[in-house]
Amino acid sequence: MTARRRADAPRVALITGASRGLGSTIARFLAGQGYSVIANARTAGPLRREAAQLLAVGGRPIEVAGDVARADVRRRLRLAAERLGRLDLLVNNASELGPSPLPPLARFPLRALERIYRTNVVAPVALVQELRPLLARSRGRIVNISSDAAVGGYPGWGGYGASKAALDLVSRTLAHELAEDGISVVSVDPGDMRTAMHQAAYPGESIADRPLPEVTVPFWAWLLGQDPRRVSGHRFRAQAETWEVPA
Amino acid sequence: MIGPGSAATWPRFPEADRPPEERGLARDAVRLLVSTGDGEVDRRFADLPTLLRAGDLLVVNDSATVPASLPARGDAGEFLLNLSTEYGPGLWLAEPRWGVGRPGPLPLRVGDRFRAGSLEARVVGAFPGIPRLRFVRLRGNVRATMARRGRPIRYGHLAEVRPLADYQTIFARSPGSAEMPSAGRPFTPSLLDRLRARGISVASITLHTGVSSLELEPAATAAVPIYPEPFEVPVATVEAIAAARCRGGRIFAVGTTVVRALESTVGPGGLRPGRGFTRLYLHPGRSVRAFDGLLTGLHDARSTHLALMAAVVGADRLESAYRGAAARGYLWHEFGDSHLILPEATALPSAAS
Repeated sequence: MTARRRADAPRVALITGASRGLGSTIARFLAGQGYSVIANARTAGPLRREAAQLLAVGGRPIEVAGDVARADVRRRLRLAAERLGRLDLLVNNASELGPSPLPPLARFPLRALERIYRTNVVAPVALVQELRPLLARSRGRIVNISSDAAVGGYPGWGGYGASKAALDLVSRTLAHELAEDGISVVSVDPGDMRTAMHQAAYPGESIADRPLPEVTVPFWAWLLGQDPRRVSGHRFRAQAETWEVPA
Repeated sequence: MIGPGSAATWPRFPEADRPPEERGLARDAVRLLVSTGDGEVDRRFADLPTLLRAGDLLVVNDSATVPASLPARGDAGEFLLNLSTEYGPGLWLAEPRWGVGRPGPLPLRVGDRFRAGSLEARVVGAFPGIPRLRFVRLRGNVRATMARRGRPIRYGHLAEVRPLADYQTIFARSPGSAEMPSAGRPFTPSLLDRLRARGISVASITLHTGVSSLELEPAATAAVPIYPEPFEVPVATVEAIAAARCRGGRIFAVGTTVVRALESTVGPGGLRPGRGFTRLYLHPGRSVRAFDGLLTGLHDARSTHLALMAAVVGADRLESAYRGAAARGYLWHEFGDSHLILPEATALPSAAS
């Protein structure tokens, strides 16, 4: 009886950095499909407002406020998923951009650089360590949010970009290491978007020509429709002209 | 000048409201406008073998049309749910409409539930930039429900209900198109025999078309996104194209769907096999690399099609060809006449009939 209820229970997705921008877009798309969304963000106020939105579209949101760079926050995220009894999707979206305006690497404040790596590389790995048994039980998916800065070499983007390049390699490695658990891992470059983070990278400049994060919704629809084993280990660009299934 | 933004000045053309079979013609008896480097000549589709050369290759779309229009009912009342594209198990992009000639919009919000055929449905979200298209989640066997309750999608200019067979081409193998990939419709078994006898071969790609909902296409749409469609360019087709080029043959794309599939997987290293979704937008200024000629229908003022055609033919050449065809009574739309665009260097074929 219990097992049957669990199999019929709504799918569960955990999204970090879910209170705004891309994280909010993904959370709403999943909630609209009936996912229970465990929504995480650093500050409680915006997260509460986002949770109200998720509730309005029919989701069953659970808020966990706090910085994913902290072990106690990650533990609370795991407990939330354990209470729901399953975890089908982990989206490592929370990211640290670094100082605004973006400093060149030769003058990059090292504490800020360490902070970027803690949030963008160490925290996603730590969350995978924390959530692996739950993900394995659902043969779940991990989506790590990358950036074109991971391959670009753009001046000023060295701190953030290098952390995302590291995350790309984390994704590829995890895809191999977690295959035996049936867990799929992909890396997604969402492309330039009109978000608070993108604005912080270009203080005082207009970014009105960039699309809103909703532009990525068809990509998430496509990605989640693919056989997870086929796409695992691959990197996708959400705003690319074509999304190809690897041969 | 034809291209994005000029559709408002594009004249209206006479439309075929019935298949040629009901006008007393065989499928391959429709007219064929032939554009050469020197201008246009008038032929019949059945003349195709005489207009091509031994060694040429036709690439066709083998997608089959599905009965994608389902009766639906919800708080808003009764409506149609036209299924456009399957994204994954149970997740579809769809266009809810009040009826065949009444597009909407419908007051459907994210999270709303309704029934489509016998299926439970739920609105997941809007398609970015095209709010008339919604993602919906359907519970149950969608294909079986389509087979039982679905009808081919149709719009105002075709008020009559027609059998699904009218919307299938001879190449239809892989079910999934919301609307017929119509460029292949005039082909018949006997025409294929005569093409083969002339040394002209056929290879296929798959591209499942989404809804077109003509009357809702904005006039000036440079900024309107094309929604992605599922496609596959198989290994065998890449090999057939390479072999044709090797023997000096030319590659003819049959339809804009084939153009989009081929151009989606062509790169600096040439054409490669591929499978996924594409929203490739071909427009003047973007080079065409994967084929030499095009066999297609006569396209109305949907600017994405016009832009694609202008990219292939050149805007001025296309406009003069279309104006001439309209003056000579060619019929537009999926049941209408066809257009063969030969590579620029091709001489006018000697009299074929």
